[in-house]
Amino acid sequence: MLGCAPVTRFRRLFIANRGEVAARIARTCDALGITPVFGVSDADQTAPYLRDREFVVLGASRASESYLARERVVQAAVQTRCSVLHPGWGFLSEDPLFAALCEAHGISFIGPPASVMQKLGRKTPAKKAMARAGLKLIPGSDGVLDGPGEAESILERVGLPVLLKAESGGGGRGMRVVRESDELREAYDSARAEAQACFADDRLYLEKLIEGGRHIEIQLLADKYGNVVHLGERDCSVQRKHQKLIEESPALVLSDEEREQTFAAAVAATQAIGYVGAGTMEFLLDDGGELRFMEMNARLQVEHPVTEMRTGIDLVEAQIRVAGGEPLWFSQGDITLRGHAIECRINAEDPNNAFAPSPGVIERWQVDAAEGVRVDTHVEDGYEVPPHYDSLVCKVIAWGDDRNDACDRLTAALRGLRCEGIHTTVPMHLAVLDSPDFRNNRYDTRAVPGWSS
Amino acid sequence: MAHVPVVPIGKDREAVLDRATFDRQREGHGPLVDKLEAGRAEVRHGWGDKYVDRVHDKNKLTTRERLEQLKDPGSQLFEVGTFVNHGVDFGGLRSPAAGVVTAFAQVEGRWCVVIANDNTVASGAWWPQTPEKIERAQEMARRLRLPTLYLVDCSGLYLPEQSKSFAGAKGAGHIFKMNSLLSAEGVPQIAGVFGDCIAGGGYMPIISDRVYMTEQAYMVIAGAALIKGAKSQHITSLDIGGPEVHVHQSGCADVRVPDDETLLRCLRQEVARLPTSGAAFYRGGVESMEPAHSPAELPGLIPVDHRQAYDAEEVVARLCDQSLFWEVLPDIGREMICGVGRVGGLYAGFVLNRQGLIDDPEAPSEQRPAGILYRQGIAKISTFSRACNSDGIPLVWLQDISGFDIGAEAERHGLLAYGSNLIYTNSTNETPMFTVLLRKASGAGYYAMAGLPYDPVVQLSTPISRLSVMEGRTLAIATYNSKLDDDFEIVTQDPKERAKLERKMAEVEARIDADMDPYVAAQQLDTDEIVRLDELRDWIRALVEMSYQGVGYRRVKNPRIWSLHDLDVLVGGGPA
Repeated sequence: MLGCAPVTRFRRLFIANRGEVAARIARTCDALGITPVFGVSDADQTAPYLRDREFVVLGASRASESYLARERVVQAAVQTRCSVLHPGWGFLSEDPLFAALCEAHGISFIGPPASVMQKLGRKTPAKKAMARAGLKLIPGSDGVLDGPGEAESILERVGLPVLLKAESGGGGRGMRVVRESDELREAYDSARAEAQACFADDRLYLEKLIEGGRHIEIQLLADKYGNVVHLGERDCSVQRKHQKLIEESPALVLSDEEREQTFAAAVAATQAIGYVGAGTMEFLLDDGGELRFMEMNARLQVEHPVTEMRTGIDLVEAQIRVAGGEPLWFSQGDITLRGHAIECRINAEDPNNAFAPSPGVIERWQVDAAEGVRVDTHVEDGYEVPPHYDSLVCKVIAWGDDRNDACDRLTAALRGLRCEGIHTTVPMHLAVLDSPDFRNNRYDTRAVPGWSS
Repeated sequence: MAHVPVVPIGKDREAVLDRATFDRQREGHGPLVDKLEAGRAEVRHGWGDKYVDRVHDKNKLTTRERLEQLKDPGSQLFEVGTFVNHGVDFGGLRSPAAGVVTAFAQVEGRWCVVIANDNTVASGAWWPQTPEKIERAQEMARRLRLPTLYLVDCSGLYLPEQSKSFAGAKGAGHIFKMNSLLSAEGVPQIAGVFGDCIAGGGYMPIISDRVYMTEQAYMVIAGAALIKGAKSQHITSLDIGGPEVHVHQSGCADVRVPDDETLLRCLRQEVARLPTSGAAFYRGGVESMEPAHSPAELPGLIPVDHRQAYDAEEVVARLCDQSLFWEVLPDIGREMICGVGRVGGLYAGFVLNRQGLIDDPEAPSEQRPAGILYRQGIAKISTFSRACNSDGIPLVWLQDISGFDIGAEAERHGLLAYGSNLIYTNSTNETPMFTVLLRKASGAGYYAMAGLPYDPVVQLSTPISRLSVMEGRTLAIATYNSKLDDDFEIVTQDPKERAKLERKMAEVEARIDADMDPYVAAQQLDTDEIVRLDELRDWIRALVEMSYQGVGYRRVKNPRIWSLHDLDVLVGGGPA
């Protein structure tokens, strides 16, 4: 392992999340001797991961009244005498206002400074910073457009199809796909009007629409003193409607040269923006084999175990230590990326019925963590999957000497998984793992290899 | 409690107003904003293209081109006194911006006050009120200890109007007194002489710590024309007082440079040698962040019509970083909002008027109008003002106030005394105060909330500001009181008499309304600048940053030892 580091001094850590996320964070707290305190909703009060744990009820089951209620969460953390808060992923994890509110009330927020988070949430400032540090962008406007005329000339340069996006946008609003040149003007006007109405900011930018491609991301880790390392890449191209289903590392479709060059630029960019903690840069791998920066997620990712399996580094531990002011206790040269790791997300959905949600009571639950297999879950016999939240019930991660080895282990683990009472996406995962397209890396983000619905 | 317990305030636009109302209110500002932009454009244009060409023909830059090269690339210039002399006629001539541009500009990351004669307006001559405008900018620099840069290109007093700008307490010579006071208080002054510098113009650079001259510049007590008249000598002004004389023989200037561009580069270099801003230190590791609710929404939230209420919390939510705010003493004196938020990462205090109806503490279950000062509100803002002063927090006053409460109860409560206490507090405060006449600034309310007579460093008006002793309608009623009944209706039934009275009342109202126009105030230096509501946040952010630039000249307490926390504990019991 990576040498012995001093133990962080936080005594009590507030977990502002639920389910598998909360259970995952608590596991590291236990290892570090920190008492986790859970903020939970009404619906989660009886969840198994809270047994023999300290928890406070934030509010009603609806996330807006519990897991998303910023002031309630901060108040709960203060009242339970926690000095640090882990937001997990989802919910408030990328909310700069929440991060600032925590800090203003004396709670260390695990994540980058609120201002960095805000900058990353905006489209063009983040991209400019990244480009300056040497990352390649998706071709398009240099910042916001000054009018439809500029949009036309950029379209001319990058070629069809293109995407118009709102500077302050999100959730697809203020966004238009343009496939014909003569549609541009109208798309520009309507995107602008929608952006003004939704975000009180009518600024637009334009980029080439790259369809398909592979989704590659790089895991980064930074301390408060400007030390930054990368922990390798992940390929998350098995997606259904932009939801990641399977993630693995390394990305074998990536050339060594492109990988190394992007690692170096990603580290430099992370340094340049003053990033702190664990973060992920997402890229699109285009037809030419080049990685083009899309965005940086200012949080830990669902799929972080893939990286943990390859590096042996506990990313939650690293986050907590960095938040406590510890410098990174290892350098890039100390990190070895071993073998191949692959993760599948198992959701309470019926893959044979258009992935309809399948909440309910899990009557029987069993999964064995064989050698090289890790299971991250909050589920046990009798657990009821509440209808209010994300339907993830479990992640199974397998490690092997190479990709086939890892895939075989994962297949074996999934075959041994028992889940009675609800439908899960396990059958789909088995079909994907078994498909020649997946095994031969012949797929992109538009369709799930080996599964056609 | 060392933390500044800010919480999110304000709501999304949709939760405040429906789309139609918001759009209608915003559109109400349209003509006023158009007027402002047209006025700005007119002033910027100076005496027009012909005079721009003349400057260029001499291989010189216009004043506004100089400012553009002087400031940091991409940074915003904050001009003050744009509308001084606006619309005033001097024997058929106009003096846009009173012939001098005064502005806050960032140079090498440091806020500076720049005072630049406009060489497209009568060769930078000093008009009536030009000295006052320059002195006002010098005073702003003195109060905030901002390096002061003079771009001198001035043919001297505009002599046909000399009687209006020479002899008084604020006459042209007072500029040099201000030069001296700035020097005495350790404020760095740097002068660049670009051209004519005659008489008064000649004195202006000399007290500066560093004086640069271009090869086209000369500084003289009297120019060639006067010498010819008085001494019958034929020499050029450059021979009398050019760099050859002043850099080498008299020592009145330090450095000669070939041209405008070089001089501007040298000025930037000089500023770079001054201490860096303390703002980054005082931010304590926190960066500036945009409000969670957009300042661009302000015009839609504040109706033009001063009789219509709005939620003042929504205003402050659109000024503070991330819309995080700590309201101090929230439960008493409800007509006032006092509190602290960060602007550009730096703490600032805010005082503003609630609008609409509030609960009446004197009569439970009854309500009374806000936008007026009652006893508790006066005591609250006085206490808050003093606490901010004690803590060194810059204070922003946002006025939308009709005045003090009046009547028997108000007198019995001693509002005169409470008000005077407030006046004393604001008059003796040392922390930088900035005043914004958001909408109404009426009567004693204007004074109570740190209007210009109480020396705020800068006072801003908006296109909807109404600055007056009283509203026109009120004065009309007061004037013709004896002819009105209890409902202010005209008593007489004689149609002729009624028509005459109605006309006279309308005249009084119209005259007062015309005087309340922010351009009248700006034209006569009763307010420093007119800014759009959606520009307010940027202005306040800049002004607050300037307040924290200088280190060591004023008390800036860290939040742990703020007396505001004591107030919070004493009145509200403090945080749990």
